[in-house]
Amino acid sequence: MSRRDTLIFGCSALGHEVAMQLADRGIEVFLYSNDLDEVGALLAKGLQAGVIDYTDDEKLRDIGIGSWVKTIFCLFSEEPKNLFLTLSARALDDKLKIVGVCESASSGERLMAAGATKVIDPYEISGHRVHELIARPYLVEMLENTVFGKHIDIAEIEIPQHSPLSGSLLNDLQLGKRYNLIVIGVVDLELGNQLIFSNSGVAHRLDAGDILVVIGPMREITRLKQGVCENSLEPLPGSRDP
Amino acid sequence: MEGSARYKGLKQAVFNLLENPRAPIRPYFDIFMILLVLTSVWMLIYEVKHDLGLLGDVFEIVVVGIFIIEYLLRFWIYNDSHKAILERYERAEFINEPFRVWSAMGHASIEKLRYLVQPLAIIDLLAIIPSYRPLRFLRIFLLFRLFKLFRYTRSISEFVKVLSEKRIELVTLFIFMAFITFTAATAMFFFEADQSDPQISGFFDSIYWALVTISTVGYGDITPHTTEGRIVTLVLIIAGLGVISFFTSIIVSAFGEKIHEIRAHRIFSEVERKHIDTLICGFGRVGQVVAERLAADKRLFVVVDPKEENVRVAKKRGYPAVIGDGEDNDLLLSLGIDTRVRRLLCLTGDDVVNVYITLTARQCNPGIEIISRANHRENVTKLYRAGASHCVAPYEVLGLIAAEYAGQPVAFEAVYGLLTGQSHEGIEAVRIKQGGSLDGRPMGDIDFRHRKLTPFGVIRKGDCEPGGGDSRYRLQDSCLHFNPGDDFTLRADDLLVLFGHEYSVVHFRDCLERGTL
Repeated sequence: MSRRDTLIFGCSALGHEVAMQLADRGIEVFLYSNDLDEVGALLAKGLQAGVIDYTDDEKLRDIGIGSWVKTIFCLFSEEPKNLFLTLSARALDDKLKIVGVCESASSGERLMAAGATKVIDPYEISGHRVHELIARPYLVEMLENTVFGKHIDIAEIEIPQHSPLSGSLLNDLQLGKRYNLIVIGVVDLELGNQLIFSNSGVAHRLDAGDILVVIGPMREITRLKQGVCENSLEPLPGSRDP
Repeated sequence: MEGSARYKGLKQAVFNLLENPRAPIRPYFDIFMILLVLTSVWMLIYEVKHDLGLLGDVFEIVVVGIFIIEYLLRFWIYNDSHKAILERYERAEFINEPFRVWSAMGHASIEKLRYLVQPLAIIDLLAIIPSYRPLRFLRIFLLFRLFKLFRYTRSISEFVKVLSEKRIELVTLFIFMAFITFTAATAMFFFEADQSDPQISGFFDSIYWALVTISTVGYGDITPHTTEGRIVTLVLIIAGLGVISFFTSIIVSAFGEKIHEIRAHRIFSEVERKHIDTLICGFGRVGQVVAERLAADKRLFVVVDPKEENVRVAKKRGYPAVIGDGEDNDLLLSLGIDTRVRRLLCLTGDDVVNVYITLTARQCNPGIEIISRANHRENVTKLYRAGASHCVAPYEVLGLIAAEYAGQPVAFEAVYGLLTGQSHEGIEAVRIKQGGSLDGRPMGDIDFRHRKLTPFGVIRKGDCEPGGGDSRYRLQDSCLHFNPGDDFTLRADDLLVLFGHEYSVVHFRDCLERGTL
């Protein structure tokens, strides 16, 4: 068995969906569940799945939690199972990214308390989506056709060491004009995980290791990535920069 | 007559006034008639001891006049006689038979006369007739005017409807009671009537006594004096207890069974009165989130859920809610799916139910907007085929987010914020008004940076024009210009999509309104 660094626990419809989406992006995953029937159903669909007793720490360690596994998804449909798994996994590995799914705001808080890195509330999201469809249908249509329709991507670009960008102010770069892109913000890992929005008015000075979050067509993103790495940004259109 | 628009319009107006429960004028007419009936009955009571003089007579004439006009109008709008005649004429033409006028007329008038034998029509007539002088002795029938109230109040007719559904039980009880009463009355008459000083002088007396006793009222004006009579009384009292409790239980159970329906009726009329046009089927977690957001927008909606527990939650939060299945066609129709409702949200956790509701609703109303939840990805196409305008798949969205997280945890935060609307930063759109301060201005004129906004794109109606350097994407009936350059010229009716903090957007919109940009 190859070593997969992303694992999904829980083989319900949700687990299946996440596995498919990850596969679309070229991320290979392995699904685990304690329910033999569910696992069988997924195997029949051609996914890689296995049965595990997740209450046993030894078994969790055997499949790589605490060593090579970087991210796990707790997608059981029962909240207690997710909580238990989150607690066990957190005890085994401090740095593990644990994404849990919750049914309500209060269960979300419990999962966070148990040590989950991120809690996703699918119902909240769907409800919001429905509301947006009613309140602002044109925006939903736009997002659906672009960001989710894969015309436009959201991507993160890390500023490499010795980049000419480091030291300059984010707003001065005018990346939106050099490339056909919109810079949503930047994450400075030294300042914490918070995303600093580009239009928040904060004059952020870029340095190596910062991560730019941009939105735009894929080819533009690739161009920017190249530009950042090869230290040659596109000149501003209309300007006479060398 | 068929061609006369005025005739038709007049008839429709009268129909709206008298019969159409949805007509806006109807409640006022009902209240007016109720007041009229109550006043006339009050005058009837007052007249017993007092003299009202000329005023009373005039009022009585006016009231009777209104009643007669109402009666005749109802008779008129009951059906279309000329249509029936025309239909016969056309049929005769079609099969090449001579058209017999009198037979057709006769047929039409028989149809019309059917109106006269309806219970409510009879009550109407009885409310009028006693006013005719030679029939003054029928004055007591003026009380029938009170029964006219059935026409005008929904709650009374609901009460009658509930009772009429328990017809069989009530008839059984009545036969049983009549049997007991008659037997006891006969026995009493037999034992007591031949006493020296009889309280019971005739059979009517003994029937009266039996009823007073069986109903446990027991006035005590007639009492048994013989041992046999007392034994009859004891039996009758016990039977009476049975009858009363049986009667009570019938009424209670009838209302117990119907209480949901009665409550639902209340909701229906509320929905009608407030012109609620959004229907939420399924009040699970998704439904609750949607309801919360809609309520925050001050939008009105009504919740339908088969689970009593969910409906209770909805009511506690102050939303109008009905217990019932979204699959129930009658329920949807009562809520006005074919007329008033403009938007239906199928948010149950069961895709089969969602598809069914979508299909039913689409058949009832082709113009309605249906937003449906798909719990499995393979059902999205089915929902679209069933007629959904939009589908929302919770698991798909979650999958998308999860995948984003695994690949790009930082970008994920931005997507999550956009998707849940929980962050203050977000995407908003501003419409460019005709002749407004931005109409015809290039993008470069607006200092977005100073306003802490980032232009995301412009949505313009119509097809994408060919050429141009910026990225364009087809939307349904418009075109998105992504990241427009400084020289992009805004036009009226464009949607300017901005990315930024909600305060910035609100401020920008304000400035636009005031023209101080």
